Amino acid sequence: MLRTDAWLRRALAIGVTFGLVVAACGGTNPTATPAGPTVGPGESPAESTMPDLHGGTIFMLTQNEEFDDIDPQRAYTGEDLAFFGATIMRALTGYVYSDDPVVANGVTADMATDTGTASPDATEWSFTLRDGLTWEDGSALVCEDIKYGVSRTFANDVITNGPTYAIQYLDIPENPVSEGDDAVYLSAYYGPYNGTGQDLFDQAVSCDGNVITFKLNQSVADFNYTVTLGFSPVPDPAIHPDLVDTVDQYTLRPWSNGPYKIEEYTQGNGGHLLLTRNEFWNQDSDPVRLAYPDQWEVLFGIDAKVIDQRMMASQGDDATAVCYCNIQPENLNTVFADPQTPNPDFAGRVVSDYDPYSRYYWIDVQKVPNVKHRQAMAAALNRDAIRANAGGDFAGALGDGVIKPNLGQDYAETGMWTGLLGQPIPDSGDPDFARQLIEESGEPMPDLIWDYPQNPTRDLEAGIVVESLGRAGINVTANPIPGGSYYGTIFNDEQAHQFGWAGWGPDWPNASTVIPPLFTDKGGWNISRVRGEANQDFIDQVAVAIGELDRSAQAKMWQDLNKLAMERVYVIPTTFGLSQVIVGTRIQPVYQWAPWGSWPYAIMYVTP
Amino acid sequence: MAGYVVRRVVSMTLLLFLLTLTVFFLFNMMPADPARLTCGKACSPAIIEANRHHLELDIPPIEQYQRFVGGIFFGRTFSKDTPRPIECEAPCLGYSFLRNTEVLTLIARAAPVTFWLAIGGFLTWMLIGLSLGIVSALTRGRWVDRTIMGIALVGYSLPSFFIGLVLIFFVILDWNLLPFPQWTTPDKDLGRFLQTMILPWITIATLYAAFYMRLTRNQVLEVFGEDYIRTARAKGLPERVVVLKHALRAGLTPIVTAAGLDLAGLLGGAIITENIYSLPGLGSLSIGAVLASDLPVITGITLVTASLIIFANLVVDLLYAVVDPRVRVG
Amino acid sequence: MVGRSLRQIVWARLRRDKVAMTCLVVLIVYYMIGILGPMVGPSFGLDPYAYDRAAISNRGGAPVLDFGGISAAHPLGVEWGTGRDILSQLLWGLRISLVVATTAAFLSTAIGVIVGIIAGYAGGWTDMVIGRLMDLVLAFPFLLIILALSNVLTDRITDLGVPSGNPSRILYLILVISSFGWPYLARIVRGQVISLREREFVEAAVAMGSGRRRILFTEILPNLWAPILVYATLLLPAYIGTEAALSFLGVGVIPPDTTFGAMLANSVNYFHAVPTYLFIPGTILAVLVVSFNLLGDALRDALDPRVTR
Repeated sequence: MLRTDAWLRRALAIGVTFGLVVAACGGTNPTATPAGPTVGPGESPAESTMPDLHGGTIFMLTQNEEFDDIDPQRAYTGEDLAFFGATIMRALTGYVYSDDPVVANGVTADMATDTGTASPDATEWSFTLRDGLTWEDGSALVCEDIKYGVSRTFANDVITNGPTYAIQYLDIPENPVSEGDDAVYLSAYYGPYNGTGQDLFDQAVSCDGNVITFKLNQSVADFNYTVTLGFSPVPDPAIHPDLVDTVDQYTLRPWSNGPYKIEEYTQGNGGHLLLTRNEFWNQDSDPVRLAYPDQWEVLFGIDAKVIDQRMMASQGDDATAVCYCNIQPENLNTVFADPQTPNPDFAGRVVSDYDPYSRYYWIDVQKVPNVKHRQAMAAALNRDAIRANAGGDFAGALGDGVIKPNLGQDYAETGMWTGLLGQPIPDSGDPDFARQLIEESGEPMPDLIWDYPQNPTRDLEAGIVVESLGRAGINVTANPIPGGSYYGTIFNDEQAHQFGWAGWGPDWPNASTVIPPLFTDKGGWNISRVRGEANQDFIDQVAVAIGELDRSAQAKMWQDLNKLAMERVYVIPTTFGLSQVIVGTRIQPVYQWAPWGSWPYAIMYVTP
Repeated sequence: MAGYVVRRVVSMTLLLFLLTLTVFFLFNMMPADPARLTCGKACSPAIIEANRHHLELDIPPIEQYQRFVGGIFFGRTFSKDTPRPIECEAPCLGYSFLRNTEVLTLIARAAPVTFWLAIGGFLTWMLIGLSLGIVSALTRGRWVDRTIMGIALVGYSLPSFFIGLVLIFFVILDWNLLPFPQWTTPDKDLGRFLQTMILPWITIATLYAAFYMRLTRNQVLEVFGEDYIRTARAKGLPERVVVLKHALRAGLTPIVTAAGLDLAGLLGGAIITENIYSLPGLGSLSIGAVLASDLPVITGITLVTASLIIFANLVVDLLYAVVDPRVRVG
Repeated sequence: MVGRSLRQIVWARLRRDKVAMTCLVVLIVYYMIGILGPMVGPSFGLDPYAYDRAAISNRGGAPVLDFGGISAAHPLGVEWGTGRDILSQLLWGLRISLVVATTAAFLSTAIGVIVGIIAGYAGGWTDMVIGRLMDLVLAFPFLLIILALSNVLTDRITDLGVPSGNPSRILYLILVISSFGWPYLARIVRGQVISLREREFVEAAVAMGSGRRRILFTEILPNLWAPILVYATLLLPAYIGTEAALSFLGVGVIPPDTTFGAMLANSVNYFHAVPTYLFIPGTILAVLVVSFNLLGDALRDALDPRVTR
């Protein structure tokens, strides 16, 4: 889920449940027809006995100056996916709206009539579209539009930054060309704009009336979760000549198939995004969205301090505003009596919940190849000070791995701090044990540089890293990098240093979207550079786990791999983050929606 | 005179050319790989290579520079080989692939904010600076003079961000006299506009007014020493007329010079003031661009700002030559 | 009758100026603290890097005690989130600010004087080229340039063998600040040199066949020290402000070290809850800068033959 650079600019989003809830979710049995609990309009908070909740404008205040991407094939930030998914960007399947994370993490039908049908070995999935789906000009949304949307992912020269599961899973060979201009394409199909390999794509994705079928290159037991990411429709130019696909500019003005459409979008500080009703959207075709407010207006570029002041005061229009952001540390003691309890003035409109993200420090295992050295770094780190600096009890719990408890069955304690590395390590670090590990390594500890995306709080965190590792005789220099270029820098082998700051959240409730991305080159987020002979056994085990169709057996594998990764200290986990958010006095319902760690946008309303 | 003008214009053009050259090559050596930055999560060397081509970074720097300058005069097309080429019409200052927008559009969007900030600040400081400077000169050596000069010195010394933060602390947070600044245009909501701008204006004015107080005071004192003022006084003209009509006018030239240059500099964006009050002007735009390593935007803003100053220099010099007969232009 | 040298006259005038003398004392104290503080501090238990976890609550990282955690152990309070001692941070930070500002002021002055003398004395094409170069430098939005180039140039400096981290960063600040600061002084010096060039004693030296270098440095330079001194004194506070502004914007020294600007930048997040974060470093910085400016002002008056007292 996490395109963390976006997330980073926005001081994090939101959380799942409080308490370490086990979400029983994940892949359905591929042979059965998957069926998740669904919420229809009647079961929502809008009971028929209640007054009509339609109308009004919900404002969203954000520090960001624009959305990273509104293109269905490029959007990849949890909060954005949640918001646009609820308003203009429907998908074949979605998640249930519920304040219970176990329920909410269940997949449910959206544009499809059910949550999909898989072949026995889960290498072929098909979805049947509902009747009455439309675009914002009133024209019918057809199966080919979904197919066209998916095809855009393959034009990875212009459709950048988005999820690439279509390329990863669809049964289309890799691009055989390794030299020249065409080498840019990841797949033998070059996308709809270039057109090369169109027949390959047509074989993998086919439309038969209103049934779309995907042929996969491997068994994917939870492909009906996968289709929530980047499988949304874009008008097929052959069918909708008026709804132009503007390619890389589409992200500025995508066509809507949801209850709202983009009326106005001006980026920058002082700019706004205004969504108004799409009169062609048909409530009967949509089992998920209740579409209460008449408008959504996102206001860009408001200072974080100002947002807090306005949200806390909740005067005028701000009474119907939601904060697309987190409460600043300075105000937490005003808003909350403690992390579980809001102060009376704010009861019912603030939430403090675990978000989907694990924070950790990656360690480049190529640059620090000696496992004892990495263990020494983990042992020396003062995690307690890091947590205190991040907000203490408001920052969440200390982490023991990259899989977070709210991911459900895939989580098990790794024991990283209770003996996995040889002996228990206190929260404030154990410099003596670290020295001992360095001695055992048989090599002198190299000098280290810690990369981090700069902001004032992380400047202090850098000081903690330098100081606490220094107590174990490890010489560390901090290297602040401007936020916007952070990931660009650390993914560059020459510019990245030995270790640094990062965070990650799962794309859907399966650690298959955590362990493989973080620790294999195929996954695309391998900042630790887990590769080479010493780590080959790990990489092989990951491949086995991905192919495992028995979900509980797979869960056990993820637990073991999480533990193994910690034993080898591919990363040093810091916190399982908690975040605090606030809405105006006239917004309901107020809870963290588990799937994207966001507000439940599709069912929010203005109280009359 | 004509010869002088021609020479100054020629030298300004030369300067502008040097400026584009310096700016372009200064930023061209930055390592933050723009091709990598647009690449995102699933990134392979081949994609980076293609993006480099797409961003025209794979051609020699000299040629990049030619295209850059060519764009300013004739416009240029980005992403020529892609399905959707981007036409950037002259004057094209570049295209921000990070924000999917022409640099000129971004600058045009931010410019009004900076314009209002600069103009309001300018008027405030000129008003305060000139009036207090004159008062100070007239009460020379007495406590009024000393107090004014003392205030001027402190105001001149304090870092702008400290002034800004202190103002926010007292006026907004502690005394609740004003709401938090939130930019809006004066035609949309004049009240809100004034509420937002008053503190930034004061912040800027504090910095500059002090300088102008001192300058005005010195000018007036100097002019008072000259013969024609003594003559005017001897003629029995009222003191008010002596001060305003004779003394100030004669002493005004260096003040106008400084004011022109300061205003031009400010129009390029007040990074710190805009940052503190989160005003979406050129200063904020440039900080954002720096943080995101958005080279085309940085280059564009630097060029515009520097051109403003160079142009203001020319205007001031020419005015100077026209107004002050002592300047030799031959 | 023994004639007093200009130096004696100026000093006598300064000594009569109470404000100037106060400032001088204040500045000497600042420099002493900057030099001695980090040397003597540790024996008083001062350590800017030590984390005092006990001083920080678990509720958002706020200091446990009021007024930013002021206590006997931390007379000026502790930093939000880490519990580091504010007094120690100020002492260590002052040293960095003074080193950057003083060195940069010295460098700019040196460059300004040399370039100014060359332009003024050589005249013609050299003067013209230098003049345009000065225009070019003055036209740049230097804050933006310093920000934009900080990472790349700091890396270059590290590549040249300067230790990575703060040594490289401080050197970058010094070099880049001074490279934008010289043209003002160069202009003043150039003007002075042009007027001196025509004076009798220079013409006499030329007539006596003195070498150009000798004329420049033994005949002309000694006559320039008054404006140079005044200008350098005024450059220092400006550079202290610049360094603070740059740290405020996030360029500057990196953790665990800190300076006034970085402390003030960090205070923004908390100063409504803990005003001392804003006012303590801010006031100390303001006193430093104001003292420099007052002294510079007094020096200018003392050196100005027209001022009668």
